[in-house]
Amino acid sequence: MTEQFIQQLVNGLMLGAIYALIALGYTMVYGVLRLINFAHGDVYMVGAYLAYYTSMQWVNRELINPYALLVIMLFVSMIGCSLLGLLIERVAYRPLREAPRISVLITAIGVSLLLEYGGLLVFKTAPPPSIAEEVRGAAMQTPLVLFGVAIDKGQLAVLSVTLVLMILLWQFVTNTQTGRAMRAVAHDFDTAALMGINVDRIVAITFLIGSALAGAGGMMNATALGTPLTTFYGLMPGVKAFVAAVLGGIGNIPGAVLGGIILGLAEAMVVFADPFIPGFELTGYKDAVTFVILIGVLLVKPSGIFGSPVEKV
Amino acid sequence: MKKAVWLTFFALALALGFGCKPAGESGNGSAAGTGSSGSGSTASSARREPEGPGNKVTGDVIKVGVIASLNGELKPWGEDSVRGIRMAVDEFNAAGGLDGKKVELVIEDTNSKPEVGKSATEKLVAEDGVIAVLGEIASGITQPAAEVCFRYGVPIISPGSTRVDITNIGANVFRVCFTDNFQGAALAKFAYEDLGLRRIAMLTDKKQPYSTGLSDVFRQAFTSFGGEIVDEQFYEGGSTQDFKPQLTNIKAKNPDGLFCSGYFNEVGPIARQKEIVGLNVPMIGGDGWDSAELLASGGSGIIGGYWSNHYSNLEDRPEVKRFIEEFKKRYGGPPATAMAPLGYDAALVLLDALKRAESLDSKSLMKAIAETKNLQAVSGTITIGPDGNAEKSILILQVTKEARDKPVKRIEFFRFEPKSN
Repeated sequence: MTEQFIQQLVNGLMLGAIYALIALGYTMVYGVLRLINFAHGDVYMVGAYLAYYTSMQWVNRELINPYALLVIMLFVSMIGCSLLGLLIERVAYRPLREAPRISVLITAIGVSLLLEYGGLLVFKTAPPPSIAEEVRGAAMQTPLVLFGVAIDKGQLAVLSVTLVLMILLWQFVTNTQTGRAMRAVAHDFDTAALMGINVDRIVAITFLIGSALAGAGGMMNATALGTPLTTFYGLMPGVKAFVAAVLGGIGNIPGAVLGGIILGLAEAMVVFADPFIPGFELTGYKDAVTFVILIGVLLVKPSGIFGSPVEKV
Repeated sequence: MKKAVWLTFFALALALGFGCKPAGESGNGSAAGTGSSGSGSTASSARREPEGPGNKVTGDVIKVGVIASLNGELKPWGEDSVRGIRMAVDEFNAAGGLDGKKVELVIEDTNSKPEVGKSATEKLVAEDGVIAVLGEIASGITQPAAEVCFRYGVPIISPGSTRVDITNIGANVFRVCFTDNFQGAALAKFAYEDLGLRRIAMLTDKKQPYSTGLSDVFRQAFTSFGGEIVDEQFYEGGSTQDFKPQLTNIKAKNPDGLFCSGYFNEVGPIARQKEIVGLNVPMIGGDGWDSAELLASGGSGIIGGYWSNHYSNLEDRPEVKRFIEEFKKRYGGPPATAMAPLGYDAALVLLDALKRAESLDSKSLMKAIAETKNLQAVSGTITIGPDGNAEKSILILQVTKEARDKPVKRIEFFRFEPKSN
């Protein structure tokens, strides 16, 4: 029972870490632009595809070290996605800087649809490919035994990479000139511009970082879970990460991380609770928990856990 | 406040879209799937005679309609079914046809949509005057098409619709594939008798009537043989990507086998994640596993698993070898899905019945199809039972490092009547 609980805890943490990575992109963009970037989940999808194509280039060559392959995949996904994020911002959102927010929101949905359906022309979808199990298995075959609980190395790797990326992000936001400028823009867009901050540059950097994190999430999830890829791969994780961002208080960076972890744990715990509450087939509702939480948050504390109670806009 | 209102709106929309609908659907789906299965095998007298008079052959051409998903999400399967049908008909015509009369196919695309399938069938039967219809592969499209055929009194043979209640529509509906009743029971028999498994856990896709139906039959059959279902966990196909929580629960129950009735999209990831949580038991599943990507996504977790299908390219029977050789000559490669041989077999049943029919009209043809006995077909030896279903053996396959479909055993047809719950 304890072992099962700890295993579920690890499951939930890993899931939560990925949600948190994606949620960071939502929350940072919302912070600077007050925009819910609906295309963010699709950037995650592109990240997964980039990892897939990279793995296909290398998987049959014995020369390459399996760990190196995973690192290369991670970097290709992150760099590819950050470029895509920059492009989306430049082409779709910057021309609408002065437009009403609803126009930008609709544009975001448009970009999302463009990536999902346009992606059908570019990416392999029939049959839906998945990153070969050997890619993960070669590096992560034997589980690590910790306090009598077998923990998969892949899960630990995902957790550590996520942790490192979050610490780097936090250092960047709090301790660098650009990070300070980013916080200033988030605080007050117009005044920051008046103070001599190049807001276009800051917005571009925000998209770059957020998209890179989504790319990392896409690569890690696709490799670890093996879900066959379609251009709609990012739909559900995107929606859940969005809920995580709202739960933590949209616009708040630690909030997004906390929200993601809570969602991940909630999903795992619903399944853990199933045997104790027979007759409800709880496990089938694992993915619906997210929406129950979202409705709960909006009813009780719409600003989220760390969100400021005063509406800024 | 504005933000809160917006977000509430989104929340509700999302909850409706992702949360509630699938659950409701699956409830209905499983009820429909299993509820009808009780009457699935009652004698032919219970099958209603179709309403219309049917069509007659006039002139020198025997027109046969084909409905298939040539576009949309079912395209790979739909295309394969048409290839198989066309091959059988071409061979028949090349051999002289029926006393000099040639069979002409009128092919309509259903676009993977039930409503298009319905109107396409309407056109074939009412405008083109076909004496029989071949198709569809998807149960959801065969259903409305078979209802149209029932109204006009035209026989229809489905190559690949496994849902049990399809043939209950009327005496004009036939199929050459197995039903999920037999598939679930045969898998249970194989797991119990051949693999010697006694404690099986099930992982079911709540959203797919196919999966809930197959799990239900498997549970009833496996327990009737004396085995125990130690746990059943659920997921939502298309939404769930992380199965580790469910698999962790299953592992705690210490089963000796894992039954996965869902589609390959989820079966591969389940196999991979089963390894991650340390659940090292063989997996068993149905024809939903059939995909070229199964090995890549499942990896070492899927190897050693067993599943059932209509046939395998690797099978050593002369019918299969000849079929694959001819198919390669014609289309430049082996069939990608089981729908090619099933399409071929559906056409074979029809052509065989044409030869035996007293006259060339829908009614005599229907009678002749119902009397099909021991027809040597690619997917097995076909006898059409009183319920319009093909009574034939099922092929159990094993996933190995080299191939996902190594033939292991054919299980002869037997009747299993699941109780509806």
